[in-house]
Amino acid sequence: MTLSPSAFIRGAGSLLAGLGVTLKAFFQPVVTSQYPRQLLKISPRFRGHTKLLADAEDPGKNGCIACGICVRNCPSGSIVRVEGEKREGEKRKTATTYILDFTTCSQCGICVETCPSDALGFSADFNLAGYKREDFVFDLVREFEKRKEAS
Amino acid sequence: MEKIISIMGWETAKMIAGLVGVLVFVVLNALILTWAERKVAGHMQRRIGPKEVGPYGLIQPIADAIKLLGKEILTPGEVDKPLYWLAPILIFVPVLVSFIVIPFDASLQVKDINVGILVILAFSSLTVLSILMAGWGSNNKYALIGAIRSVAQNIAYEIPLLLALLPVIMMTHSFSLKAIVEAQRGLWFVFVQPLAFCIYFITSVAETNRTPFDLPEAESELVAGYHTEYSGMRFALFFLAEYTNIFIVSAIAVTFFLGGYQGPFLPGIVWFLLKSYFLVFVIMWLRWTYPRVRFDQLLNLSWKALIPLAFLNLLVTGGLLKI
Amino acid sequence: MVEKIKEELSSAIEGVEIKEANYRERGYHLFAEVASSDLLNVARFFDERGFYLAALICVDYVEYLDLVYIFSNHASLCKVKVALKIDPARPVAPTISMVFDCAYWYEREIREFYGVLFDGHPNLTYLFLHEGIDAYPLRKEKIPVSDEDKKALGAFRPEEGEDTFFVNLGPQHPSTHGVLRVVLKMDGEYIQSAEPVLGYLHRMHEKMAENRSYLQFLPNTGRMDYLGPMSFNLGYVTAVERLCGIAVPDRAHVVRVIATELNRLSSHLLWLGAYLADLGALTPFLFVFDDREQINDILEAVTGSRLTYCYFRFGGLYNDVDEAFIAGTRAFIERMRSRFSLYDKLVGGNVIFINRTRGIGVIERERARKYAVSGPVLRGAGIPMDMRKTEPCAAYGGMDFNVPVGTRGDALDMYHVRVLEMENALKIIEQALAQLPEGPIMTEKVPRKLKPPKGDLYHTVETPRGELGIYIVSDESDKPYRMKWRVPSFSNLMIFPELAKGNLLADAVAILGSLDLVIPEIDR
Repeated sequence: MTLSPSAFIRGAGSLLAGLGVTLKAFFQPVVTSQYPRQLLKISPRFRGHTKLLADAEDPGKNGCIACGICVRNCPSGSIVRVEGEKREGEKRKTATTYILDFTTCSQCGICVETCPSDALGFSADFNLAGYKREDFVFDLVREFEKRKEAS
Repeated sequence: MEKIISIMGWETAKMIAGLVGVLVFVVLNALILTWAERKVAGHMQRRIGPKEVGPYGLIQPIADAIKLLGKEILTPGEVDKPLYWLAPILIFVPVLVSFIVIPFDASLQVKDINVGILVILAFSSLTVLSILMAGWGSNNKYALIGAIRSVAQNIAYEIPLLLALLPVIMMTHSFSLKAIVEAQRGLWFVFVQPLAFCIYFITSVAETNRTPFDLPEAESELVAGYHTEYSGMRFALFFLAEYTNIFIVSAIAVTFFLGGYQGPFLPGIVWFLLKSYFLVFVIMWLRWTYPRVRFDQLLNLSWKALIPLAFLNLLVTGGLLKI
Repeated sequence: MVEKIKEELSSAIEGVEIKEANYRERGYHLFAEVASSDLLNVARFFDERGFYLAALICVDYVEYLDLVYIFSNHASLCKVKVALKIDPARPVAPTISMVFDCAYWYEREIREFYGVLFDGHPNLTYLFLHEGIDAYPLRKEKIPVSDEDKKALGAFRPEEGEDTFFVNLGPQHPSTHGVLRVVLKMDGEYIQSAEPVLGYLHRMHEKMAENRSYLQFLPNTGRMDYLGPMSFNLGYVTAVERLCGIAVPDRAHVVRVIATELNRLSSHLLWLGAYLADLGALTPFLFVFDDREQINDILEAVTGSRLTYCYFRFGGLYNDVDEAFIAGTRAFIERMRSRFSLYDKLVGGNVIFINRTRGIGVIERERARKYAVSGPVLRGAGIPMDMRKTEPCAAYGGMDFNVPVGTRGDALDMYHVRVLEMENALKIIEQALAQLPEGPIMTEKVPRKLKPPKGDLYHTVETPRGELGIYIVSDESDKPYRMKWRVPSFSNLMIFPELAKGNLLADAVAILGSLDLVIPEIDR
């Protein structure tokens, strides 16, 4: 390792420069946020699991017409079953059951895009937890009703 | 109490009290250093280190100790049992012996042996032996490679370590650590022997297997090097020995070059601890800044750069002392 | 160049019919169909003229198997497709691995997926699959693997040597950037041979592509390379648009460039952090994540995902960018420019880092060509080829940037090339933001069920790791007949065993890191 004095000084200087960077960082404030004590703002376009949106004309009903387009288009087959019925005096079907198996969903957004009645949207639920796999099979109609009662 | 002291004699009683004090200090030091390492690492990386367990994470080391104690004492099947079991215990012996001769204060030294530094240097070579026992006895390729690297590294860096300390010994005409500290009454040796201080510091980082010289436990190449097969309390022992070793080499640097326990206003032991922990901080600072040096570059650094420089320093010092 | 090759090829090899192809629709300029006996001569012909084997694809058209060789050139744009028909009942073809070293693994892959025997290949053993697979996966009908074939495929046994021992690097390892296992035969600290074992993350994306429609396959593209998903998305979407002849509005083109360059920056930043973590410095890893968080936040506000984006659609984008995105990106560019000096002080100028990477893993130009290396590795070796310049898609044609080239071909050159590419990415994003036109982001008339016209297409795109090639064969239905992904890390990894021979283990880790591999895209 034959070193010329200039190479030696340059090398030593680079080592000291590196030390300076870490020392400066030592005294600077931290850039991390202490989750869960500090919660971060979730962007409105965040892709959590899908949820049913209210019908544009009648906010009490969900907008799904149980056509089955999302079921056919889902690449992973995550939408297990959609059933609906046509109630008295209404022009179209309303969904009564919408089973989503979230364990295989890849949040691609194809169901949201292809829905002809714009009834699906993304929710902002990101901290889901459960003890068994069945905890992640959601019935979106029931979730919709629960949200309606809560508001 | 007085009866026991009168039976044993004052010297022995003082030594036993000192040994107990040293053991307590070793444990406390290990606890403080594990916390300090994680906090220093955290802040240098713009994050907080431990914070949940106790205020500022101060109880974290105790939580870690309880966790490690609670683990199953697992001995892998094909290990060489005597070597495997002895290695973590044996690695503590050199550091504990080294504590006996370090002067924490003018009157706080377990025993002032007149060949103090020779005791320390002789026993610190034994750490290599226990690392080799751990690597060979583990019956694991990664451990063996790590142990072999460590042996070569330690042997290569012992020589410049010695050569860097010799000028100071030559200037004070004594091996006793107390005498070396006392000889720095007027001027600390770091101003007289700056090159020796640098060489000593670099070699001590290599002796304790810390980055940038931490090939024996290179995490990204060899899983965990020589302590791959150790878990639970045995692993904790290796860990503690490493941190105690860091403190020892800093303490020796302070004793030889930075005036030991001398300093105005505050009591001697406070100055000693302040200076030692400052050097420990510098060692941690080095770990979190630099990447690892490759093995042949490491040996080249020792044999081709540090040893010639240390020899040169020794010759010049000897020549100047004769004039 | 194209004319010259056409003339020379037809005169050099008799009985070979060369046709010109519509480059815009097919992705290659010339098309030649050869017989088995001529294949080796054709390969030698292209080798002498400085071509490289970009891809080797097998397609199962039930009556025959088609082996497609795509030869491409570094110096000027000229792509030649050479096709060889073989009998499906007894599929045999000559090997060209002695001419082009990259064919060594391409042929092994085709052997285990299709059952094609390559005469003269030194080592036709399992690359991705294992003994439990009973039928050739990518054939259209279920053709079982005979017992003797299974034995031949499973014959890899590492040879024991006298003073040597075997060390497994991986599959669980902090430095292998994914689940890669390398069987190292070591003599003390020195490596005698390195044999990568793949397939730990094999998910059969190519078979999935044959069973899903074009839109349904789009999320899969992000999962293949999860560090540079925007570029994989871009490649796929532009390939299908080229096949179907769909035009894209200008605003969508520019936003695609911005998103892809942000992703390239994020991928190179992660490479920097991970490479230094391999070498032992753990601090730059966290500094890098600080910068990546900013990029992730910007892209999350637009696309909704942080890692596996599914943002582009056929004909445009999923949703539009807004003022907050533009302001956020501009602020990020300012901040990032000041961070480069920090990385230079901490990493680039550090004497320990320089000594660890200078002269390590030197790749010569000839070897780079034979192994079909691409991306920053190729540019580090000294060949200035960048797909964004030679075959620009989206709005890259209107962007002004230079192509950084290395001089020595070692790991330090790869580092400098990637840092310069990061600076280039910032420059491109600035130009794109200045050029961003108003208008729609999606073309009006995109059919719900895409049915591309019959034919094949070889489309390339520059990902952060190199040249991504997508070969689509369409049979007018709404599902692709065959989709082959030629991923850059696959050919980049092939050069590793040769570079690692005779080196220390620490150097092997440094070389592996400098190649910037992402194993999921190798395993698909």
